[in-house]
Amino acid sequence: MAKQGNGLKVPKRQAHLSQARLPGFLWAVSLLGMGACGANDDIPAIDYVCGTESPDPTGPACGADDPNLPPEPQLPTDVCQTLTATKSAPTERDDGTDLDTDRIQAALLACKGRAVKLVSDGDNNAFVSAHLQLDSVTLWVDKGTTLYGSRNPALYQKTGNCGSIGISDSGACTDFLTVSGTSPAIVGDGVIDGQGGEPLIGRDYSWWQSSYALRAIDGSIGNPTMINSATNTTGLLLYRITLHNSAKFHVKLTSYPAGGVCSSPGKGFIVWGITILTPSRWTNSKGELLTPSFARNTDGVDPGEGSVAQCGVIACSTISTGDDQIAIKGGHLVSDLIVAHNHFGTGHGMSIGSETFGKDATRDGVAALGVENVNIYDLTIDADSRPVGYEAAASDFNGIRVKSDESRGGHVNNISYRDICMRDMTNAILVSTAYNPLFAGVLYPDFKKLEFHNIRHVTCKGAQRPVVTIEGFNAARPVGPVTLDNVIIDNVGPLDVAAEFANITLGPGDVNFTPAGLGVTVTDTRAEGSTPHACVFPKLPTPDVPAGWLR
Amino acid sequence: MRASSPSCPRLTCRPDGFGELMAFMRDRPLHFALAPLLCGLGASACTNTSNPTVANGACVVDPVAVDCTTDGFSAEALGLVPYSCTGESRPDQDPTYIDGVPQGLVCANQGAAGSDGTQGYCCSNRATPCAYNPVAICDSGTYGYQCRGADRPEALNDAIHCNQGVRQDDLVNYCCSGAQRAPGCAASQSLGCLAGMMGWTCPIGTLPTAQDLAANQSRADVYYQMCPVPTPAANPKYENFCCYTAGLVPPGGTCVQDIAVPNCQPGRFGIACYGPDKPDEDYPRLHCPDRGFAGVSAESYPATLYCCDFQ
Repeated sequence: MAKQGNGLKVPKRQAHLSQARLPGFLWAVSLLGMGACGANDDIPAIDYVCGTESPDPTGPACGADDPNLPPEPQLPTDVCQTLTATKSAPTERDDGTDLDTDRIQAALLACKGRAVKLVSDGDNNAFVSAHLQLDSVTLWVDKGTTLYGSRNPALYQKTGNCGSIGISDSGACTDFLTVSGTSPAIVGDGVIDGQGGEPLIGRDYSWWQSSYALRAIDGSIGNPTMINSATNTTGLLLYRITLHNSAKFHVKLTSYPAGGVCSSPGKGFIVWGITILTPSRWTNSKGELLTPSFARNTDGVDPGEGSVAQCGVIACSTISTGDDQIAIKGGHLVSDLIVAHNHFGTGHGMSIGSETFGKDATRDGVAALGVENVNIYDLTIDADSRPVGYEAAASDFNGIRVKSDESRGGHVNNISYRDICMRDMTNAILVSTAYNPLFAGVLYPDFKKLEFHNIRHVTCKGAQRPVVTIEGFNAARPVGPVTLDNVIIDNVGPLDVAAEFANITLGPGDVNFTPAGLGVTVTDTRAEGSTPHACVFPKLPTPDVPAGWLR
Repeated sequence: MRASSPSCPRLTCRPDGFGELMAFMRDRPLHFALAPLLCGLGASACTNTSNPTVANGACVVDPVAVDCTTDGFSAEALGLVPYSCTGESRPDQDPTYIDGVPQGLVCANQGAAGSDGTQGYCCSNRATPCAYNPVAICDSGTYGYQCRGADRPEALNDAIHCNQGVRQDDLVNYCCSGAQRAPGCAASQSLGCLAGMMGWTCPIGTLPTAQDLAANQSRADVYYQMCPVPTPAANPKYENFCCYTAGLVPPGGTCVQDIAVPNCQPGRFGIACYGPDKPDEDYPRLHCPDRGFAGVSAESYPATLYCCDFQ
């Protein structure tokens, strides 16, 4: 899971970085004070560069020119059943007396190997359902149609704690959509909405409020995952679908190639052209403010969260949510992934971990562990895409993040981040083996080859300096080799770089900081002449501003 | 720069009922926070010396008697220094706090370093943001550190093993040892626990802790699970529990679990409240049909005692 709360999920050297973590106004005041007193001329003013705002996308379709990727998927041509909506919006009736669960489930069962299409009929554009099982079938949500998850916890009950407030039980509820079997798919230009911010039936709080109540103890709520693929899933496809307001994770992704061989990228799974926007509204039906920070534990896509995820592609997607946009989980085994041409708004980062302890001794007769062979490129991460909420922690603004701790650590190797643009992060690059230092264990993080090429972080509206952290576990388990090549983090200063137990190579492209610290070795191959990666940030989806609000 | 805390000889400052106080202190930051202060006052009134190694034994670097090779790495490669110590002395017994930030050595005890009672330690070769805490409330065989930042003691000393940390404001308290932690409670699916609870089988006298959870189970930043009075296990050396992870007690809440509440039947939750609040106000999943009665908590403090049920 993507852990929550985050009060302690900070760089190890936080004590040395306190200046960089001042609230923006304090930082500004401190700078003014320094300027007035002339006490320290070595701290430069923040240099603001916003990058370019891109116009509407033009040119070839996303991914079409990328030889690393498979062809863009297609919508089904063989529709087994078409179901027409009979509701215009979810109402209090979605307590189980007027749900679409039965007819959708019946169609899904009858159409194995084919597609079930949900369509609108004029103003009737909504389906409301509880748990659904998709076994080797395609669910197509048509444009203009929304499939809502019921707000009745009783319909997801698993351990007795589903919908209860104040109990840390991550397995309390069933999923909204459980996916399994051969080549299951969820596609279409419609929306799936988990109603995470809406009050639960019979209660005066929402899924998110029940999760938020555990923030103080960093507890894990057992709210329904929106889409969870089971351990026997092969060839999963998510295509063009829009996901809103999941009660917890949006996608827990387990899938691998049929036959087990990764003959070409995407044979295990493809996530292509999806949009995640959570929260999708500024307020709920009670008028309560909804913010990304409030939507706790709402990871976007988590490969490996449930079981093995191999040979996958996540491409051309847009994700803005309240937790990790993508968190690659190594609790089992995750390998051979491509994450390309994606755009992130709010969230906790393009993450690996925190679970990295997985083992699979059967593959090729060689023990494979944790997370390996992940290629992440052409990514923008933009903290300025929308406000995140007054209660957000600074440590929630992460760009690139590789995280674990001794309660859940293991092998992370051969990871490449390339052509990444970030804007206004607190943690531009965070490689941390102490995700939660409270947690004890003997599963020590073992981070090996990590590469960062053509990375650029710009400060546009932020009032604080970004932080870079590269920290292995201890002297016996350093992180490395770590390559930093053409990594330019605007406004980073010596106090904003923390490193320990790391073997780092700088260059050949420029790197505008030099990590140093206990157990850190640096090989400097930086050469003159590299050009910082040019950043273009697209305008990302945001909720419509309510009437009467200032724009 | 603020003065460091005084040296605190271990036995001088221990309160009576030390072992029993362990559980109490872990969940009570205020008491925990006061402990060093009380210790400091006590220490200044009794034996306090700027050189405790003279007053109560001594430590010397001793690569002959103590082998700090760990995980196949030499002591030097790991930044460890071997010590042997006589009497009550430890190499890490003189930490400092500078502006609230602890500084001291982190040492893994290695047991006897000779037949004369000397004890061996493998210590970090430089000051760390951790301070040895002589008044920490730790299980037998372990000892305390108080650390700042996200470095667990294991990150600073490869030879040490520490339990789940407990946050105290900006610091984290750990109980540690040079030996691997012995297996504690084991999760059990066969105890017939009510929905929403987790089954545990534990050595008698032991409560399930967060670190007993498997790696694939989510933890929270709490040390103990919320557990009832145990039921007997098939093996008489063990007890069974059906527990759950409760949320944070609301501000002002004073109720704590107390498996020693008199006449609380096994399977029911014994709760001791030090204030006027009721258990179900602090733990919404508990239902307490019986009136509370005045008594004494497991930590020997006056309290109102309740027997409650999970609902």
